[in-house]
Amino acid sequence: MASSMADARTEILDRLRRVVDEPGRMFRSYEEVRRPEVPMHVTLAEGDSLALAKRFASELEAVKGSYEIVDDLSDVPARVIEQIRSWESESDAMDGKDPRPLQVLGWDPGKLPLPGIRKPLAEAGIEWVVPDDLLDDEDRQRAAAAATGLTGVEAAFASTGTIVLAPAEGKSRAASLLPYRHIVLVPIAAIHPTIESWLASLRSSGQLADLVRDSAQLAFITGPSKSADIELNLTLGVHGPKQVHAVLFDSQRP
Amino acid sequence: MPVEVGAPYRRRLRQALDDEAQRTALDRATARLSAQRAQALAAVDNPRLRQNARAIRQSAIQDLPKLLEQLEANLLTNGCQVHWARDADEATRIVCGIAEKSRTRRVVKSKSMVTEEIGLNHALEALGIDVVETDLGEYIIQLAGEPPSHIIAPVIHKRVEDISELLQRELGMPPTDDPAVMCAAARKRLRQEFLNADMGISGCNFAIAETGTICIITNEGNGRMVTSMPRVYVAVAGIEKVVHSVEDAALLWQAASRNATGQNVSVYFSMSSGPRRHGHADGPDEMHVVLLDNGRTRMLERGYGDATLCIRCGACINACPVYREIGGHAYGRTPYNGPIGAVITPLLADEPASHKELPFASSLCGVCRDVCPVKIDLPRLLLDLRSDIVESGATPRSERLAMKAFARSAEAPARFRRLRGLARLASRLPVRPPPLNRWARTRALPPVPRSGFLESRKRRDRDGRGEPRG
Repeated sequence: MASSMADARTEILDRLRRVVDEPGRMFRSYEEVRRPEVPMHVTLAEGDSLALAKRFASELEAVKGSYEIVDDLSDVPARVIEQIRSWESESDAMDGKDPRPLQVLGWDPGKLPLPGIRKPLAEAGIEWVVPDDLLDDEDRQRAAAAATGLTGVEAAFASTGTIVLAPAEGKSRAASLLPYRHIVLVPIAAIHPTIESWLASLRSSGQLADLVRDSAQLAFITGPSKSADIELNLTLGVHGPKQVHAVLFDSQRP
Repeated sequence: MPVEVGAPYRRRLRQALDDEAQRTALDRATARLSAQRAQALAAVDNPRLRQNARAIRQSAIQDLPKLLEQLEANLLTNGCQVHWARDADEATRIVCGIAEKSRTRRVVKSKSMVTEEIGLNHALEALGIDVVETDLGEYIIQLAGEPPSHIIAPVIHKRVEDISELLQRELGMPPTDDPAVMCAAARKRLRQEFLNADMGISGCNFAIAETGTICIITNEGNGRMVTSMPRVYVAVAGIEKVVHSVEDAALLWQAASRNATGQNVSVYFSMSSGPRRHGHADGPDEMHVVLLDNGRTRMLERGYGDATLCIRCGACINACPVYREIGGHAYGRTPYNGPIGAVITPLLADEPASHKELPFASSLCGVCRDVCPVKIDLPRLLLDLRSDIVESGATPRSERLAMKAFARSAEAPARFRRLRGLARLASRLPVRPPPLNRWARTRALPPVPRSGFLESRKRRDRDGRGEPRG
């Protein structure tokens, strides 16, 4: 088996090497092309950090997400609790046999932009689950019962309302994927104008390749899970969260 | 009666045209997708986007062997296992081997045309493995026992009432015409599949050489589930999917999203670069990448490299006046339909004569070329394929004879005049002789003129009205 696979590799690469020497032979309408040296910005966004935050919010809303901009940092936990409680009465949307409306599947609090948030949530009767190892069946069933996911972000893009999540220790993929609702804490300093401007800054600081590789899976998420497969009717919450709620705040302001 | 994909070409066309329900569904969906696309592209500098996307794809194909080696090296560094497959058989054997070694009983899949191309589900099921499609549309057609009829909207040929009936029968869903209720029924069922599956399988939208990364575009989140929840993840990637850089993949993602559904970007874009790292709570223990040729190198060798630039957005399919009438199943046993399917289906096939009708299933109106985000000249490729097919002698005998007769008569003016006289006579007959009768059933015969170019030229010269010739 191993040798026949080595053969496949050699055969495919040998044939390709022969054919790519003559691009005029491969392409009917051959014209010489050059890869763009500076990537094109497909979308644009401008302004100071507050303007970018507002743009992010409006783009997220346009794709059926929701948001709130919180001026005072100390108000953030109360707003998150309020949001979770407002969903408690909506029984329509729960996964699992034994759903837990007041359970949060979260990142390790130490990895959130607001580490202190765990205590006020616990005091409000909201249980916090941090999975260690989702290959364990018990952990898996527990994780699947939580109604709300709570995460931070690696970055966000104003021009498309996109958040980027990079898995790491204490930052599970499941928190933004399994629960019916996802609350994402977004410090406005994490909002970049566009995906291209974010990539350019990582490229110039030499961190891009490492971030992509070390995270094992970089996830770009733009609004709630959706499908138009049933005669182009828009349905939300097909497999991922039905609601994506961004809480925007300025973590640098005293 | 639905279209039987295994039926002969003409019967498939007849069935498709007779299927009023399907035509209603297709009309609604393709018109809306095309309108959404136009709106999304009006908001950006589309000429520049196309130029960039073309340059990214073409330069990747020109550097293909080098990029594939770079991709492989980086995937290995990232902890992936890399497999090469010359054809469908080799690819399915590799995936079945991984499944057996990992004692896989249950597989969840995200929508992927390349695994349809190689018949992977069938091969896994033959081993007694449960295979569940998790894209909502793909799940619905799996329940219906049908193949997909569109590369991005697999169940585009069914109306909402057909789908409701199917889910009531298969899942015991209470009667409803509300897509949200249908969606919730599927979510509930598929959620357990995700949590219990041993292996996840996906295709690949782009493979980034510089980082060793497999990119998947989805809207539902099933792509993230399939690549994150099971302990083994297998990606099947056509060798043409490779691109140079992360920036290149980011541009193509946006081009694909706008052209496919009119979204600025898809809801999810997952970039997987290997199994979960030490300390991570989730992600697969093993990640395998199968690099598949299956006719792609042959496409380049035969000069059809333009077709390997395709990013599978489906814009040409939605715009095609032929697809809009007949739908995907009329193209036969292939996951690729519409204009791009009519090109790559015969090229991917082993024997050149199979699927030989498909390049003729086009009016060459050119709308596919105009909408293509990577500027593939599809009408040109269709014409070239037609000429290949004619040269290989795969056209009907009557057509070859007629062409021969025409060629001979056109060699001599006297013979040509006789042929014209015959044609004039034949065009006035109330009944047409075969094979003209069949051809003329849906077409008007052009009137045959009394005299031709040579005669009128002579007359003009005689009357002294012609241009003086030196």
